[in-house]
Amino acid sequence: MKPFTLLTPATVEEAVAMFGQHKETARYMAGGTDVIVKVKEGWMGPDYLINLKQIPGLDELHKNENTGELTIGSLVTHAMLEQSLLIRNEYPIIYDAVSNIGSLQVRNMGTIGGNLINAVPSADGAIPLIALDGTALLAGPAGERSVPVKDLFVKPYETVLTPGEILRKITIPAQAKRTGSAYIKFGRRAAMELPLIGIGVLLVVDEDLVTCTRARICLGVAGPTPRRAQKAEDLLEGKPVTATLLTEAGTLAAEESQVRDSVRGQAWHRKEMIRVQVRRMGIKCLDIINQKAQQTGRQV
Amino acid sequence: MSGYNIVGQRVPKLDAAQKAMGRAEYIQDVKLPGMLYGKILYSKYAHAKITAMDISRALALPGVHAVLTGKDIPPKMRMGFYKDNPPLKADKVCCFRDEVAAVAAVSEQVAKKAVSLIEVEYEVLPAVFDPEAAMEKDATLVHEAHKTNVLKLPWKLHYGDVEAAEKDSAFVVEDRFTTTWVTHCCLSTSGAVALFDASDNLTVYSNTQIPSLAQKDFLETLGAMGLKGKRVRVIKPVIGGGFGSKLDTYAYEHIAILLAHKCRKPVKILFDRKEEFEATSTRQPTVIYIRQGCDKEGHLTFRDIRMVLDNGGRTSWGATTPSVMMMPITSLYRVPNVRYNAKCVYTNNTYSQAMRGYGNPQATFAIESCMDMLAQKAGIDPVAFRRINQNEPGDETPQGFKITSCGLAQCIDAVEKELTQGSPLEDGEGIGYASLIHVGGGARIYKSDGCGAILKMDDYGRVDIFTGGTDMGQGLDNMIAQIVAEELGLLAEDINVVHSDTDVCPWDVGAHASRSTFVAGNAALGAARRAKQTLLAFGAKLFEVAPEDLVMENRTVSVKNDPEKTMPVDKLLRKAHFSPGGTMLMADYFYDPPNENMGKDFRCNLSVTYSFGVHGVRVHVDKETGKVLVKNYVAAHDVGRAINPMLLEGQVYGGVIMGLGYALSEEVMIKDGQIKNPNFRDYKLFTAKDAVPIMAPVIETHDPDGPFGAKGIGEPGCVPTAPAVANAIYNAVGVRIKDLPITPEKVLAAIQEQSKGS
Ligand SMILES: Cc1cc2nc3c(=O)[nH]c(=O)nc-3n(C[C@H](O)[C@H](O)[C@H](O)COP(=O)(O)OP(=O)(O)OC[C@H]3O[C@@H](n4cnc5c(N)ncnc54)[C@H](O)[C@@H]3O)c2cc1C
Repeated sequence: MKPFTLLTPATVEEAVAMFGQHKETARYMAGGTDVIVKVKEGWMGPDYLINLKQIPGLDELHKNENTGELTIGSLVTHAMLEQSLLIRNEYPIIYDAVSNIGSLQVRNMGTIGGNLINAVPSADGAIPLIALDGTALLAGPAGERSVPVKDLFVKPYETVLTPGEILRKITIPAQAKRTGSAYIKFGRRAAMELPLIGIGVLLVVDEDLVTCTRARICLGVAGPTPRRAQKAEDLLEGKPVTATLLTEAGTLAAEESQVRDSVRGQAWHRKEMIRVQVRRMGIKCLDIINQKAQQTGRQV
Repeated sequence: MSGYNIVGQRVPKLDAAQKAMGRAEYIQDVKLPGMLYGKILYSKYAHAKITAMDISRALALPGVHAVLTGKDIPPKMRMGFYKDNPPLKADKVCCFRDEVAAVAAVSEQVAKKAVSLIEVEYEVLPAVFDPEAAMEKDATLVHEAHKTNVLKLPWKLHYGDVEAAEKDSAFVVEDRFTTTWVTHCCLSTSGAVALFDASDNLTVYSNTQIPSLAQKDFLETLGAMGLKGKRVRVIKPVIGGGFGSKLDTYAYEHIAILLAHKCRKPVKILFDRKEEFEATSTRQPTVIYIRQGCDKEGHLTFRDIRMVLDNGGRTSWGATTPSVMMMPITSLYRVPNVRYNAKCVYTNNTYSQAMRGYGNPQATFAIESCMDMLAQKAGIDPVAFRRINQNEPGDETPQGFKITSCGLAQCIDAVEKELTQGSPLEDGEGIGYASLIHVGGGARIYKSDGCGAILKMDDYGRVDIFTGGTDMGQGLDNMIAQIVAEELGLLAEDINVVHSDTDVCPWDVGAHASRSTFVAGNAALGAARRAKQTLLAFGAKLFEVAPEDLVMENRTVSVKNDPEKTMPVDKLLRKAHFSPGGTMLMADYFYDPPNENMGKDFRCNLSVTYSFGVHGVRVHVDKETGKVLVKNYVAAHDVGRAINPMLLEGQVYGGVIMGLGYALSEEVMIKDGQIKNPNFRDYKLFTAKDAVPIMAPVIETHDPDGPFGAKGIGEPGCVPTAPAVANAIYNAVGVRIKDLPITPEKVLAAIQEQSKGS
């Protein structure tokens, strides 16, 4: 392993300044579960690792009760999300995704920010944040800017972040009433698994509890970056959601995907899984919505 | 009640706490003063001529002490039983795993850098990767001098008359099954440290399963190096997993020896995980053609198997697995007419070694899948079909195996009872069964199947026992301690088991063939009996009674029926030691079971006793994804006697999980000779979260020859797992997968194929 110097800034500004000094010889590090592996394997060899973990405030996780906006700091770990009751109850799609990342040890170390910026097609954390219409807040040498999470990714291992930019946090707008969401990582093993395919579905329905007013279908490992299957989403919106319609949407999503053969799985099977799992996740969404409706009904 | 105090107890593994606290010292932890680090350069091609090599840049790197190439290898130095493998290759490479050069340097980092500076020029040759293609007439030759890719090995037998039996059969099925490469995945990667003393005697630290045979291999290496007559000492650190992977000596060990001699310093070679995947040996892949028949009542009439084994570019013990496959082929169930013909074929792939079960899982996959197919054709329930054909005590199988204790019938009962108890099968669920036979009392694959034990007692009533046997985590230390403690009326904690150093431990053929509890256990028991005799003779004199009137129990020696006359063992030992003309208690024993070498047509009684087992599994198959979920698993084994039920269950659980990986997910993916998944991310070893509920009923048949009645159980746990799962999948959704591992892709493809057909 190539040796490096570890720098530990106390603020985002200091971190950005450190990067400015060392430029391409430096690399940000959060949990290090991607960076350290790459350094060890010799895939990258930075002279400096800028450790963001000591910067206060980057691990905030809260919902603004007035606006309904959820804030997830970039240093929030998968374990923090997994253990949060707020996430488990109100954002099941996030819970589904993060609770199956790697292993307990990896979830304790790995952060949601690192997961996004590492930018692999299989990033489990990215799918739910895209489905929830999340926005990334970036801070860099030229100041701050916002980018929708869905537009963060350029290609494997590459994001729109400019050199020195830091991801501060992700915000998620208030969820509509009658929203259901679910994610499945389809793989061979129950842990330490990169998905063969990752499927996240979010549905919002009308008061009749069946007509879809908004659909998000997001796929991992279905192309060079995590992405939405927009034709499939369009098919669902405005129509009553049934198993048949969901299967059609799944078929569309499979068609628009760019799945490939690899050591992990074959393209035809990945397509099949998109087809099947879009339906299954869609039905899970409806179940969640119905359950919630019953609960509210009872409260009234 | 067994009537025993220590045998049968769930004594925790003696070094469990040490391991859990991270204090156990593995090869990773061995560090000697002045030690250098060795690194190996591997081939860049599957098949190529080495045309030139330039080591000058590596040699010039500061910190580098030596660089070796194939040219530095003494001419007679060849590894493996087929002697086709020099530790470094001088002229040509036959697989990606071939070692072409090695470096010793002051640190791993420098060694790695130096290796990257070695320049090798190759002339790439056409390569062959499919063993069946490699058998064809004008196939590329992997070893030109060998003239053919088919190894000259005698794996061929025919007992009875298969053709006549087939004519008389009411039902016959035939099919083709294939199994692929899987690997041991030992948590502690391979490694060795070699050093020479001032007079050129060699010490090797290695996590080997065969200290005595490794010593012999290293003596041969010394001979080839011109150091005939020098001594070899093999020291084993704590071994972090064996599973057969350490039954041979490897290039890295011999290279470490050569480097240590050249540098006159200790040299350590330690594999990283990628190297562990790429440069250690796998389970032998097979192509199996099977025909099996039965009469109207369901009695097996014949079994006919032809096999092609991908030998890879070199030869290790994998090429001898057909000898063990003969066991299930000729002797699993009563089958009067048997034919078997196996060919090991050179290709430019990686090569294989022993792995838990030694060929038995591959053969049993074909046999037991085919048993279900035949039962269906004959219209007989699969469990009933197995009962009709089950082995019984007193049987002699066509190969000449004399079956003594045999609990196969009880195993079938136990598994059926447990599996049929649960809730009724839901849609997509199914149950499958498969049985196993394995050697239970060692196997004479070498001139001796023996093991020695040396025992001494100190003034405090404690025992040191030096065994030839090897503990590699399976629990031989406990077996020996519990057996000796039982015999001498002591506690397990009074027994110190030393099994780590050929300078002090006697000979043993190795930790293979599920033999250690049986053979090393019997050796330890023999030594303990001798010690007991001496001690009782001394006690008899003291108490003025006959030795037969004494008992040893709870650390005391007492006169039967006379509670007044009793003495703690330690006091008795001191009395013996400190009396005029005093004596210390020492005893030894060498046990070699009456196992027979395979005769000319392979007939023999390979083992003095055999182990049996039956596995049953309930699965759920997701018809839309092809994913198989194991709902419940029952693995019943006839073990003779459980010396330690907890460790026994551990062996079974571990075996089943390993077997499930073999069945469902594990695969070393090799494309054009190159391993595509040399890491735990893509090599789908089961994780703790994938573990399934396992029940392990223990059938005790009290074997007349086993120590306290025990038989071997090390390997059986992973033998019938894959066919049990395959049979359950068939039972669930009606598709038969004949190619391991049974991935969701294969299952779904078969289901889709099936629904197209209907
Ligand atoms: C054994 C194992 C199993 C894994 N399993 C999974 C899995 O199941 N699913 C999955 O999606 N991933 C998995 N991963 C990958 C990894 O754990 C996750 O992607 C994790 O979320 C990365 O977060 P981190 O904080 O460790 O990132 P780091 O390694 O610290 O950083 C990753 C990248 O992001 C950059 N970066 C980090 N934080 C910031 C920031 N705030 N601003 C700008 N750039 C930043 C770094 O420079 C680097 O390029 C696994 C990894 C391992 C080692």
